Amino acid sequence: MSDQSQSPAAPLLDVKNLATGYGDIRAVWDVSLSVNTGELTAVLGRNGAGKTTLLRAIAGLNKVGKGSISYRGDDISSLPAHRRVGLGMGLVQDGKRVFRRLTVQENLFLGGYTLGIGRRKLPDKLVRIYDIFPALGERQKVVVGQLSGGQQQMVAIGQALMAEPSLLMLDEPSGGLAPSIVDEVMAILVTLKKAGMGILLVEQQVEAAIDVADHVVVLDIGRVILDAPASELVDLDVLKEAYFGSAKLDDDVTGEAKAPE
Amino acid sequence: MMTLIWSSLTIGAVYALVATGYNVVFTASGVFNFAHAQLMMLGVFLAYAGLVVLKWPIIVVFLFAGVVVFLAAALEERIAIRPVRLAEAQLVTTVGVATLINGAAQRIWGPSPLSVPYFASNQTVTVFGGRVLPDEIVIIATTVVVVILLMLLSKRTMIGLAMLAIAENRESALLRGVNVRRLALGAFAFSGLLAGLLGPIIGPQTFAAAGLASAIALYGFVALAIGGFGSLPGGLIGGFVVGFAEEFTARYMNSNYPDVIVFVILLAVLLLRPNGLFGKARERAV
Amino acid sequence: MNTLSTRLKSVPSFTLPLIAAIVIVLLPQLGLSVTNQRQVLLIGFLTLLVSGLNLSLGYAGELALGQPAIYATGAYVAAYMGEHGSTDIVLQIVAAVAAALVVGLLTGIPGLRLGSWSLAMTSFFLVLLIPDIANIFPGATGGMVGAVGIENGTFFGVALTNYGYYLVVVLSVIFWLAFMRNLVTSRHGIALRVMRQSPVLASSLGISVFRTKLLAYALGAVPAGIAGALFANLDHYVSPETFSFALAISILAASILGGATSVYGAVFGAVIMQLGPSVSTSFQQDALIFYGILLIVGGVLLANGVSGLANNAWKRYVLKGERATRTKHAASTEFHFPAMAGAKLSVKGVSKSFGGNVALRDVDLDAEAGKVTALIGPNGSGKTTLLNMICGFYPTDAGTIDLDGVQLDHRRSYQIANLGLARTFQTPVIPAGITVAEVVLSGRYSPERVSIAAAALRFPRYWKVHSHDQEQVAEILDIVGLTDLAHEQADSLPLGTRRMLEIARALVSKPRVLLLDESASGLDEDEVARLAMLIRRVRDAGGTVILVEHNFRLVLSLADTIHVLAQGEIIASGTPADIEVDPRVLREYLGVKDVDAAAAAIEADTTGPQR
Repeated sequence: MSDQSQSPAAPLLDVKNLATGYGDIRAVWDVSLSVNTGELTAVLGRNGAGKTTLLRAIAGLNKVGKGSISYRGDDISSLPAHRRVGLGMGLVQDGKRVFRRLTVQENLFLGGYTLGIGRRKLPDKLVRIYDIFPALGERQKVVVGQLSGGQQQMVAIGQALMAEPSLLMLDEPSGGLAPSIVDEVMAILVTLKKAGMGILLVEQQVEAAIDVADHVVVLDIGRVILDAPASELVDLDVLKEAYFGSAKLDDDVTGEAKAPE
Repeated sequence: MMTLIWSSLTIGAVYALVATGYNVVFTASGVFNFAHAQLMMLGVFLAYAGLVVLKWPIIVVFLFAGVVVFLAAALEERIAIRPVRLAEAQLVTTVGVATLINGAAQRIWGPSPLSVPYFASNQTVTVFGGRVLPDEIVIIATTVVVVILLMLLSKRTMIGLAMLAIAENRESALLRGVNVRRLALGAFAFSGLLAGLLGPIIGPQTFAAAGLASAIALYGFVALAIGGFGSLPGGLIGGFVVGFAEEFTARYMNSNYPDVIVFVILLAVLLLRPNGLFGKARERAV
Repeated sequence: MNTLSTRLKSVPSFTLPLIAAIVIVLLPQLGLSVTNQRQVLLIGFLTLLVSGLNLSLGYAGELALGQPAIYATGAYVAAYMGEHGSTDIVLQIVAAVAAALVVGLLTGIPGLRLGSWSLAMTSFFLVLLIPDIANIFPGATGGMVGAVGIENGTFFGVALTNYGYYLVVVLSVIFWLAFMRNLVTSRHGIALRVMRQSPVLASSLGISVFRTKLLAYALGAVPAGIAGALFANLDHYVSPETFSFALAISILAASILGGATSVYGAVFGAVIMQLGPSVSTSFQQDALIFYGILLIVGGVLLANGVSGLANNAWKRYVLKGERATRTKHAASTEFHFPAMAGAKLSVKGVSKSFGGNVALRDVDLDAEAGKVTALIGPNGSGKTTLLNMICGFYPTDAGTIDLDGVQLDHRRSYQIANLGLARTFQTPVIPAGITVAEVVLSGRYSPERVSIAAAALRFPRYWKVHSHDQEQVAEILDIVGLTDLAHEQADSLPLGTRRMLEIARALVSKPRVLLLDESASGLDEDEVARLAMLIRRVRDAGGTVILVEHNFRLVLSLADTIHVLAQGEIIASGTPADIEVDPRVLREYLGVKDVDAAAAAIEADTTGPQR
């Protein structure tokens, strides 16, 4: 878990000038951002901006072309994905990617794979998750493919939480969910953040994300076009511009905005 | 009749073992290891070498066979599987491994089938009215035990769960911290260990005959198809079905027909129930 | 200027092979000894066997290990005929080929149902059956002793001399290789390459993957049948021992050695495999070891792309300096844009669930000809599911989808493509190893057909369609501004260019409905503008365009009708003006809570209220 005596200047996650992609496609050209312990950094931007590719690279699924990714001060750019989980980095992918053929309980067990506890002792750990998501507690032996979208998303988040991450990364957890469930999910993120977890949240739902964020980063075509503390974001219109189609941004949006490359 | 049933169960058990080897590897890595039957035959050759040539005690022979085939399978995974991501290329390389083992065995031990002595009693006994060799009973029992043990392992351990996860979605498994590569290697190596350990047991039945492995590989595939890809109990049942088909056909028709009948069964299964009895077949794009 | 050849190894100019063929034909006249002539004949048989495997493996991606069994079928059929007075070798070949096709189809249909492994195993099993079948029908086959008493072959009544027989064999091989080369260089070769790399793309181009794979596999049986018939006349004796597992392995090894997609590589591989054992005795003893190692190494290289893909990677590496930049060639505006006979797509009451997850609930929408219909919605809204259902990837749970009244739902995707639906993909699907022009050409597969026979034998129909192809491809390339890049390797181009290429491929089939899946994603302003202009032209020409998009501005400026999807339901439909200020859209799409203010801000396009 997070180290409270860590100097506030050392971020939990530090991404510097990252360039990455998949196959032939370079989706991220030059992105720098950071996440601090106990804080939530939101990454916004329209489709194709490179948000998912960015997360995948941080999680270890895409190769780093240029730049670096540091976790707790150590460069993990070439660490295999499964090792990053063991270090405390958890990714919740978009699209409710859980093991649909397995039960809720089995999915959560898998979440706890890196804990190194045998299957016999894992149920104790599940209690925490069922506290957060009571709906799952009522459906422990149900095959996940049979659950509703919202419940599947809960399983996905629950899986990531089982590994007791210090850094939780989520890719559009609101995707396809009813507004009330989105609110629930956001509230849970706030609770986790307050308990000391660092959170990197990629989202399409702009306002919901800003409401819970400490820091906001906006991407467009693989670059950062806005990087500001959430409190300093005075002009929401700026974000809507980025979403609605215009790629460029004016300098005088906020005091902290970075000029585009 | 009972004697016929015993021999059907025996040969069926061998096919079930092949199918089980296919299943273990397939579940963990999505690869169909055509060379598994050849690995089993390698185990038989090593049993021959250990028992007849080197005259070692049986425990040593078990260990020897187990370890060598374990290593061979691990080597296979590293050289012929891991660098190869395309399915049809994996077919080519696994056929290549099987051929290589075949060729090496013939080089070392010659092309003629060799008799492998059974390490315990060779006296036929009568059970339930049928005559059967102790070795045959051991083969049947071992097979059933192995399948049950593997089923338990898969249901009760984290590794078993991890393998199911990999079978469903490799990347998601990776994101939960599962070392997918190491598990794939482990599954291969384990299947090799199993194949090697079984050498002294099945050897007396099959003889050390390098050329036979292809036929066993094919019959084992039919067993797999009947039971369904990825299903351990399915492989067991499928093996017995094939065993019965072969023995009964040989007995009531002549020795040219078992292949034909088994082939017809294969075609029928593929046409009518491609997923087999219990299989959750991977979607292969056709 | 691209100085390197962009053609694959399998498509050289045929001058050299032609010369080689003539030399081989003349060899006995030039003094080649009888023993060596025999070697040439054996190489010929092996070449046919390997070539058949190449068609299956290299092009369709199916490992057909049963070649010896087909070989045996051909041989025994010819032997039977030869024993019973029907000695005409041409007739024997025809009968053998027919039998080979039957066996190929009978094993291919069940074998292909489970995918690659089951076909490989099913075909390999055939080899096991050969001695059994021989013993079961000893009258016809001579059992384990073999077929004897085969009379000398005749050619249209004339008894075959040694040289005559030699000619028949060599010419048969030449004929088959020419057939194969013609096939592979035709649009069918492109279709096979596309299918092998992306079955999804192939289906969307109207290619039935199952049928095409079956066809390639069955066609691969033909040369084996020919070889069998010829073989029966070699020694006038057929023994079942010839058709062994070892033969199957050596055919596979030869195929890998020569390159599974190389037409002439079959000869190369056959030469090595045939002459190897006679060159060294250790080869003979250790043949299996040699084959095994070859297969392992060859398989590793095959996977990492010896044929085509590695070729391509090398080109990419070498061409890095010469990489084609984004084309500045403006799309021609004067050119006559072909008329598009758009059809109306109707989606009525469509619902779809996956397990407990309702992806779509009672969705209605229409897309009319001469209009751009846009479908927008946040991630997870069901857009992709709807798109995939229209294209035939899953069946609906409820509701109907039809095209001008013709039912689309519950049809397979290649059937839907053949009804006139063309699409692009979220990430452009451009196969490796083919040029820009060939990519566009692959879009012509569906609208105008050429049979395999016509293509391989180069009948007049082939040439007629070929010239249409060239015309249409050139026209479309000009319209999208890609003419300069026609001979470049398509998959090494930048994203924007590949998107335009996908659209070109979709347009060349003159689709009744054009479905664009997030085509603007990743494009810069100029490229988006060019895309928009192209879409407008399609619309003005009468086409039906369905735009699935995230770029809201683009959609607002381009669409005639917009449907907004959220959580599986259509929450708003209307003109851009309607949708732009619809509060529900803003809320769902953006999660904007202060909806009225946001709407006002967008409408006024000025700085909004303070947060």
